[in-house]
Amino acid sequence: MNEQQTKHPGVCVPFEEAKADWPEIQGDEEIVRKVWEENDAEAYMFLWQCVLSF
Amino acid sequence: MSDKQTLFQERLKRYVTAMRNEKPDRVPVRPFAAEVTAVHAGFTCQQVTHDYRYAFEAILQCCRDYDWDATVPNMVYVWTGLVKSLGIKYYAVPGIEVSADTGFQYMEPPENGAWMREDEYDIFVKEPIDFLANVWFPRVTQHVAPPGSPASFRGNMAMLSGMASMKNYFAAYGPHINRMTNETGTPCAISGILKAPFDIIADKFRGYRALCMDLYRQPDKVVALTEALTPHLAFVAEQTADPGRNLPVGLWLHRGCLPFLSPKQFEKFFWPSLKQIICTLWSKGIQTLFYAEGEWNGNLKYISELPDKSIVYHVDRGDIFEVHKAVGHKFCISGGIPNDLLAFGTPDEVKQFVKKVIQGVGKDGGYIVDACAIMQNDTKLENLRAMGEAAYEYGVY
Repeated sequence: MNEQQTKHPGVCVPFEEAKADWPEIQGDEEIVRKVWEENDAEAYMFLWQCVLSF
Repeated sequence: MSDKQTLFQERLKRYVTAMRNEKPDRVPVRPFAAEVTAVHAGFTCQQVTHDYRYAFEAILQCCRDYDWDATVPNMVYVWTGLVKSLGIKYYAVPGIEVSADTGFQYMEPPENGAWMREDEYDIFVKEPIDFLANVWFPRVTQHVAPPGSPASFRGNMAMLSGMASMKNYFAAYGPHINRMTNETGTPCAISGILKAPFDIIADKFRGYRALCMDLYRQPDKVVALTEALTPHLAFVAEQTADPGRNLPVGLWLHRGCLPFLSPKQFEKFFWPSLKQIICTLWSKGIQTLFYAEGEWNGNLKYISELPDKSIVYHVDRGDIFEVHKAVGHKFCISGGIPNDLLAFGTPDEVKQFVKKVIQGVGKDGGYIVDACAIMQNDTKLENLRAMGEAAYEYGVY
């Protein structure tokens, strides 16, 4: 990853950016983070599969 | 263990041993059979390309009827049903834009109509995933709107059906691969997807002609983009690789050979980023199938820089005996059986050629029989069979 990029491979919308849209998380933030990042990675893979395989 | 599972284990051991540049019990046969599977099964190109269930059935029929040590679960790799759901513009689809008996075609963009404009290098380098989502994807599809433009029903539905369809397509591979294993005893040949950074810029962003102009007009920006794409392409390759680390990631090489790039250009634009990815994958135990389409022998001095066994070197137009001499001590070699011979020759001519390659390249192990390029619907079925039979006849150690 070069110095300009702020998003790591596997990331489209970082969790911190998504969280800013929500009220304060009352429960376990790590569960919310984990699921967000897993689903976000699916979108990342969808786009790259379009580029590489289709 | 069933007979098919025993057969599967025997074949997998033979295939993996050869890929590690060692000597198995016999030279493995690993055809990359694309539209020729449709010919064998009695299907059209349209059927196997647009409805992957036909493609799966066709490869299963081939696995039952030929004694292959490994093959690709679906070498008709672009499922055009998904292409049409998304509205992707750069393919000619069998049965729609071309006849039902013609393989799908990739259409190179005109120089002034590339999917990425000449002044967009900086924004692509800065945040690749944003560029893909906001600029590239809307541009290569018919209805998806870029940010700031009015969304449409067709665009929204294209995204929804496209994402659901891709998920279904990849999910279908699990049961299909189980059928290959349990019904035919045939292992997969590869797992995962990799392209060279330079190639993907040429294929899907700038087009080859516009990229060639960029090599002279803005060379530093081209290098910067290859570097920016490197971690992403390595990541996708790793994520899609075989978790068991037996099978190599498929690397389909398009524009790195002569006459597309000179050796000097290859050294500057093509090789550094690709070498980095291959070495990164190998450091994690992932081998790469280096599918060198075209004439690559001029680049062998670079290829030889790679760690021993890190790649399986697939030979297309290059002289396979020269390849063996240059890098055979480092890497397994596959391919080298000319597609024109398979299309226009006789079974005896095919057998004699395979025999010559086995005796010259495979005598100490580390060779896998296959055609030079993927086999399409011009391959004669009797020659496909003869290619395998020659390995069984002349390839036993």
